[in-house]
Amino acid sequence: MVGGYTQSPGGFASPAMSQGGEKKGRTRATQIIPCTVSQLMSASQAEEAFRVGDVEVAQVTIVGVIRSTDKSMTNIQYKVDDMTGAPMDVKQWLDTEDPSVDSNVLSPGTYVKVSGNLRSFQNHRSVVAFSVRPLEDMNEITSHMLEVVQAHMVLSKPQTTLGVTGGMSSKVVPISKPGGMGGSYAGANDMANNGLSANQNQVLSLIRSCPEPQGISLQDLKQRLSGISLVIIKQAVEFLSNEGHIFSTIDEDHYKSTDNDD
Amino acid sequence: MAAILDVPKTRINCSMLSQHINKPVCFVGRVEKVHPTGKTFTLSDGEGKIATVELNDPLEEEMSGVVEVIGMVSNKGGIMATTYNMLREEKGISRDLELYNEALKVVHDFPQHYPFEVASSG
Repeated sequence: MVGGYTQSPGGFASPAMSQGGEKKGRTRATQIIPCTVSQLMSASQAEEAFRVGDVEVAQVTIVGVIRSTDKSMTNIQYKVDDMTGAPMDVKQWLDTEDPSVDSNVLSPGTYVKVSGNLRSFQNHRSVVAFSVRPLEDMNEITSHMLEVVQAHMVLSKPQTTLGVTGGMSSKVVPISKPGGMGGSYAGANDMANNGLSANQNQVLSLIRSCPEPQGISLQDLKQRLSGISLVIIKQAVEFLSNEGHIFSTIDEDHYKSTDNDD
Repeated sequence: MAAILDVPKTRINCSMLSQHINKPVCFVGRVEKVHPTGKTFTLSDGEGKIATVELNDPLEEEMSGVVEVIGMVSNKGGIMATTYNMLREEKGISRDLELYNEALKVVHDFPQHYPFEVASSG
């Protein structure tokens, strides 16, 4: 082991492989997942981990309106209501030595986005927040609702091929594309084991098949995938890019696949 | 009044009103007309349909723009509001009601991913 900085393939392979191994099987607990209060309240708990259905949740975001506030020396406790259930307790610790931390108590009636960890104490659920931000654009409420559905849908995807799980895919198929495209699913099924949804797989295979050095543009994707809306394509692109399947090239609208063997 | 805040309030638009009679709901819409008494007003939702809202106490302030009303749906298809929340249009970014309407449809299409009730925890 002379020269610790040489790129020994063994050293690089193992972390990559363990990451790949984890990705195939279950969702990582390192994700931050948009949720509703009702999901957090009804999440099952297994030792340290919480699950909402099939989705393991640890860090969450919720969007709701502040119903009440309670400030003490070390923390602020809010009750945040997002219409799906009783208001959720949200605790935000105050760093008394750090003046830059926002110690202004947000008033009831304010819509906020809370990012934090789900906690359960004596069967009482609460969120310990590292960020409580008042919403400036009310469309964020709309966006959060959609993100909740999308995140849970994507993360709950069973690992079996799409064709087999008639129950799940029958919901997805009518929305994403007309029935005529059913034939192309056969090819997508082989790649479905990577945990991507039908849309994401389609987007990914299109990006993969593009031979141009600057990659394929969002406009091209939209044209070729006429059954999928631009919003869904953009979501798929963002997800694929976060997962490392694709990267942007000349600008944010052009993408290339990371594993381009074509 | 506090009781309604502790139960799930389904988000709905006008076409879903009839399915939620006598249930607590959350309705988001743009203020159309305010009755002179201040006790009722009409809201339009993202599809352009109108809903009537009745309040327990008359309005004390000018109501305009997009508001969020929480209340029970009456037999006539109106909403008996217990509380409302005016969504301020800060910095000129107004709430896109058509987009919210589309989101409502998605949310109702996937109740398993956006539950409006608290299941008993395992």
